[in-house]
Amino acid sequence: MVDIMQRIFRKKFFRDIFNKLIGKDKKLKIGFYGHPNSGKTTLANRMTKDWIGKSLGLVSEIPHETRRVYRQERVTLNYDGVELDFDIIDTPGIATKIDYKNFLQYGLSEQEAKERAKEATKGIIEAIKWLDDVTGVLLVVDATKDPLTQANITIIGNLEARNIPFVIVANKVDLPESNPERILSVFPQHKVVGISALHGENTDELYKAMVEKFS
Amino acid sequence: MDDSVTNSLKMDFISSDALKTKSSIEKISMIVEKVKEGELLVIEGGLEPEEEAELIETTMREIDVENFVGIDIYTLEKDESSFFGLSKKKTVGITIIGPANVMKTVKRKSNFLSMVASLGGSDASMY
Repeated sequence: MVDIMQRIFRKKFFRDIFNKLIGKDKKLKIGFYGHPNSGKTTLANRMTKDWIGKSLGLVSEIPHETRRVYRQERVTLNYDGVELDFDIIDTPGIATKIDYKNFLQYGLSEQEAKERAKEATKGIIEAIKWLDDVTGVLLVVDATKDPLTQANITIIGNLEARNIPFVIVANKVDLPESNPERILSVFPQHKVVGISALHGENTDELYKAMVEKFS
Repeated sequence: MDDSVTNSLKMDFISSDALKTKSSIEKISMIVEKVKEGELLVIEGGLEPEEEAELIETTMREIDVENFVGIDIYTLEKDESSFFGLSKKKTVGITIIGPANVMKTVKRKSNFLSMVASLGGSDASMY
């Protein structure tokens, strides 16, 4: 027992020194970005369930369910013997418009819909501000929709301009109308991994991509 | 506002030269101010990524659930030769920005964009 602790301590000690030497002493903060309802929180929940055994946030079919940033610290992912320690920063979906009338179709009252719209605008501002702090990003794209949207273009442009490494997650590949190849064709220069966050399909590929990109 | 004004759409075409002299804050303020007035802007070239993020942030601050529901932005890209014509890269040729409840895209391809302006207080789409 003492030996194990000493080994862990020694490993951590040398790893910390190594990280400081190569400038990687900063905590790895992986932001989950994308459109509303692209599946960011479903993916965050899948990841926290896989690696720390609990969910992170509420999921609903109503867009803009996540209206503030949720953070899960100290997630350790292990792929093929390689560990990746990071914090999950689950951000509200980014959009250029919010019309409260869109929420009425989900059974919300007018008052609730207006309140949700107001909170969503604040959430988007918070998500954009977090671009200054994240050190890696998973851009979650709904593979059943057109990926060439201003929100996706703006997020990718900002990640490139800030030299933040990222992986594009083509989510919802379990749905028959999904078309992850379209995402690949629109963003050929970037790493794209098709998954179903809901069913855990192909998440191993994503973990592999994360280890390659962020470690 | 009388009917003739309500049923019309003002479009401003802005050259890249006209924007060169403006700071990012000036550009974004000008865009949001005009779009809030119901105008549609066609800009030669594009915004920097940081300006796009700032534009979204400013738009969110300006959204008023009753009167202004945000913006829609579309860009058309073009190939540009660089490094003595040896390599090509995509740059933004035209940027179109307008009120989200007015702009409806009909067709969108990499080199073609068809749009309809829907006047008279229609809803904005979710995406």
